[in-house]
Amino acid sequence: MRTPLALAAGLAAAAALVALPHFLGRSGVYLLSYWVVFVVATMGLNLTVGYAGQKSLGHAAFFGIGAYTVAILMKAGLSFWLGLPLAALLCFASGIVVGFPALRVQAIYLAFATLGFNTAAWLFMRNEEWLTGGTFGIKDIARPSLFGVSFDGHRAYYYLCLAVAAILAALLYGLLRSPWGKAFTALRDNPIRAESLGVDVRGYTLLAFAIGAAYAGVAGALFAPLLEFIDPAPFSVGASIMMYLMVVVGGPGYFFGPMLGAAVGVVLPEWLRFAQDWYLFVFGAAVVLLMIWLPDGLLSIPGRLRARREARAASAARAAAAARLDGGGR
Amino acid sequence: MKKALIALAVAALGSMPALAQQTIKIANIVELSGPGTTSGTNFKNGVELAVREINAAGGILGRRIETSTVDTQSNPGVAKGLTQKAVDQDVFAVFGPVFSGSIMVSMAETRRAEIPNFTGGEAAAITTQGNPYIFRTSFTQATAMPKIARYITDQAKAKTLSLIYVNNDFGKGGRDMLMKALEKSQTKIVADVSTESAQVDFSAAVLRARQANPDAIFVYTNEEESARVLRELRKQGWTKPVIGETVLTSQKVIELAGEAANGAVAHVGLTVDAPIPAMRAFRAKFEREYKYITDHNGIKGYTGMYVLKAAIEKVGKLDRKAVAKAMHGLKLRVADHPGILMDVEFDKNGDLDRDSFLTEVRNGKQEVTATLPPLSRK
Repeated sequence: MRTPLALAAGLAAAAALVALPHFLGRSGVYLLSYWVVFVVATMGLNLTVGYAGQKSLGHAAFFGIGAYTVAILMKAGLSFWLGLPLAALLCFASGIVVGFPALRVQAIYLAFATLGFNTAAWLFMRNEEWLTGGTFGIKDIARPSLFGVSFDGHRAYYYLCLAVAAILAALLYGLLRSPWGKAFTALRDNPIRAESLGVDVRGYTLLAFAIGAAYAGVAGALFAPLLEFIDPAPFSVGASIMMYLMVVVGGPGYFFGPMLGAAVGVVLPEWLRFAQDWYLFVFGAAVVLLMIWLPDGLLSIPGRLRARREARAASAARAAAAARLDGGGR
Repeated sequence: MKKALIALAVAALGSMPALAQQTIKIANIVELSGPGTTSGTNFKNGVELAVREINAAGGILGRRIETSTVDTQSNPGVAKGLTQKAVDQDVFAVFGPVFSGSIMVSMAETRRAEIPNFTGGEAAAITTQGNPYIFRTSFTQATAMPKIARYITDQAKAKTLSLIYVNNDFGKGGRDMLMKALEKSQTKIVADVSTESAQVDFSAAVLRARQANPDAIFVYTNEEESARVLRELRKQGWTKPVIGETVLTSQKVIELAGEAANGAVAHVGLTVDAPIPAMRAFRAKFEREYKYITDHNGIKGYTGMYVLKAAIEKVGKLDRKAVAKAMHGLKLRVADHPGILMDVEFDKNGDLDRDSFLTEVRNGKQEVTATLPPLSRK
């Protein structure tokens, strides 16, 4: 984002996101809104996984807690604008609780611990019918309005999602540039060194989970009115794995990774529908190939190109130096 | 970013509204992957078989039907998006999704666009919301369960009953409806055992159901699980009646359970084994076309398409609102509309009523032992 070119590209992308709905039908706008919701959710997961290095496979549970919080509160007659911060807060709190295992276990063991949490949360959503409506879900969730402006229309609701996403992206951008952000990456790269340098490993691990969870909570809060109906299905372990995939494909630890990753996870399967019966196969194959060629995600492409250029320059320099040495030896 | 934009732009191209409507466009929005694959595929095949026949016979009001099929991945969020896409493409009617969770989400879209929507979903809540554009292709559990409840009390004469059900929207919905239907009867429920979708070991569940010492056990799970329950019941030496609804005596369950399926009794709304010549002919046609025998979902799609044809012809023009209106209170006789296979009538909610069957598994085959009249006729 430092060069004018990148800035121009960013501005063009932002302008496109604002203008695009006017060229799309209902379904296009819906898909775009779906994408924005997943961008918000995966931005949080990117913080937990990509920046702080905590392998979390329970993100869909937070997403679900956010969605159910808003749905239940709105059904009880409370405002969406109260439900949204409450959803974030509740997820922040549960994020801290789920973060505790991360203090003891790491890597794949942590992934399993969070996966267990996801399953428990999913079972709760499904079995506690008095609260969550069980398998029948909660229907007729209204879309909110603010100061007399209704967000009921498909374009209006998209702009609401986009605005929330923009605010959260700006917050995350600021956070990552703050000492907190540096502490998160220090935690990921070398926790022992981080601790010896005075970083409170315990506190930051919990925070990485809690902030990531709060993002998922906000995404869930936007998701419920988008569908106008929720049941436990979209919050299963499978959905957590899908979100993890979005982060990894986009590029974990890259700020714009979730935007690309969510596009791959949400938009690509729709776009591939021309392949008919094969579209999910093509999608799966594309993901496998991506992982083989770009294990660090799509956004690692510029870095890889630069590294290759530098390597080539370095080897040319080495060859030149060797030639000089050979010449000198004779 | 750029890639995403290109992808989005291409996705947008696909959703441009179509030009003049020369054909009647129908959207099949069904489960072709995920847990709903079997149901969705059968439903879609049924619809397409009917469409081919109708087109070969000159279409509806002289116009050909054109179908498009898309996969919901058994995901309600995706189903909603696809339904919006169908609306953008200005289709005349939507068929599917089959799963209740999906249709609950997607039917808001067809309602907003005033497009008739035929579903295979059986959850009662679908038609209780005053949506004038939703129509069933099969019984709801609110219709089926009272019928089987009547059998349990009056014919099987069970004073006590144990329930084994699968805890998803299908199983839980059916269980709730059966309990409601049995509330005022002589039959008391002595054990209520919840099981998981895709559960493998049913020894504990069957043991709990047995230990309550009931006169009969009611099994309401999906195909594979039903077969496992039947095998476990046989293993634990259960000899009293095993009763179910639709699934328990289906072909798939009989194949999987083998000898253990013999003696199981179930109420079936739609079966290709019904002692009706039209149904037998349908079974043969379907098998010739697709090389396998369909379950009830194939019949749902097939008859649903013919019901739509009858409704359009009754109205006499391609007017969605008028067709939806004509559907309410529509009574169709097989004599006039052979494609509907069985006489059927729709009520003001979009629910349907028709004959149904009592079946029993004998020597590894589903046999129809009685034909039950529609609930409205008693």
